[in-house]
Amino acid sequence: MNKNNLTRRDFLIKSASLMTVVYIIPDLVSKTEAKPLDEKVSSKTKWAMNIDVDKCTKGCTACVEACIEENGLYGMDRPETDSQWIRKLTLKDIKTEKIVELPMLCQHCENPPCCDVCPTGASFRREDGIVMVNQHTCIGCRYCMMACPFKARSFVHENLTEQLTSAPRGKGCVESCNFCANRIDHGSDMTACEEACQKEGHKAITFGDLSNPKSRVNESLASKPSRRLRSDLKLKQRVTYSGI
Amino acid sequence: MGQNFYRYLFLFIILTPLNISSHNNEPHSIKGSSKADSMTQCVEPTEIMQKEHFVFLYHQRDNTVIDGIRTKQHSLANCIDCHVGYDEKGVAIPINSEGQFCQTCHVQTAVNIDCFSCHATVPRDKGMKRIKASDNNNHLSDKIKDITTYYHSNNHE
Repeated sequence: MNKNNLTRRDFLIKSASLMTVVYIIPDLVSKTEAKPLDEKVSSKTKWAMNIDVDKCTKGCTACVEACIEENGLYGMDRPETDSQWIRKLTLKDIKTEKIVELPMLCQHCENPPCCDVCPTGASFRREDGIVMVNQHTCIGCRYCMMACPFKARSFVHENLTEQLTSAPRGKGCVESCNFCANRIDHGSDMTACEEACQKEGHKAITFGDLSNPKSRVNESLASKPSRRLRSDLKLKQRVTYSGI
Repeated sequence: MGQNFYRYLFLFIILTPLNISSHNNEPHSIKGSSKADSMTQCVEPTEIMQKEHFVFLYHQRDNTVIDGIRTKQHSLANCIDCHVGYDEKGVAIPINSEGQFCQTCHVQTAVNIDCFSCHATVPRDKGMKRIKASDNNNHLSDKIKDITTYYHSNNHE
């Protein structure tokens, strides 16, 4: 009965809107396909980060604080030796004299020099592109710290007592940013630093899966040219910077 | 008579420290306070767990670190979460402290475990209140301040 009342126009509008709801909207919303906990990480996922230096605000250390909070990186109030997985740098372009502030963290190279020099294989690159330290096999020789051109790694010099369950760390091991591997393995697609940057409203840091065309990192890479630091070293970092 | 007296005195002197020091001023875990106490079986049969738990842990640690597998069944975090005891105030007692789950057997078998130089000894999540290690050094920095002020005041004179 009702169907007979439908005009041609109504029918077209309704069917078009139904099509939109069913086919188009789900595609627009970026899907986060969380890996099941019992599944190995695979090279199908390519975690990467892009940092828009123009949006990074001078004096803001939200990302650094979020990292400390997330990984329990409390220090001993000794800035020279305390662990830092992410830090703020001030850079000046020699040619243009442009001064920028940017967060520096492990660049998660595809050809990581830290892994090349590690004598025990403790420095390794996970299948999904995260470069990290296997602290069970790390002997604390710190070759990787010397090999890293970005000074991204830290060494724990002193006994620690208040580690988090999610971030084990201890004396005699090298450590660095691991793209919040624990969070990511539990289904999140956002690192603590990105979350903090978004909360502050700067949105300078974008993280995501390179193989997912709708991921935030791909969107930001598409919207603005970006480059790798020290690209002459051909390390193919997964962390890129826009605006420098 | 005299010999017997000295024998008993000797025994008394030998044994007294043991009586005094046992659990003195240490937090007592309340029996049955851990989650494991209310369960009938661990993640594997008890006999297997007693002999092979470290095999599971070694296996799981490589799976987790290298392959990103985060299943709970054989994870150390899950062991601690379940077996940690609580004191009267409901505060978790470090699982490697004397008389607690891990330590009891490892003292008995003289096996030294170094898990807890890196891993948390109680379930500790992000955002939980924690003491800064630097708090322990506060008295030192105060001392240094005292010394420097003393030094400067003397120099000015």
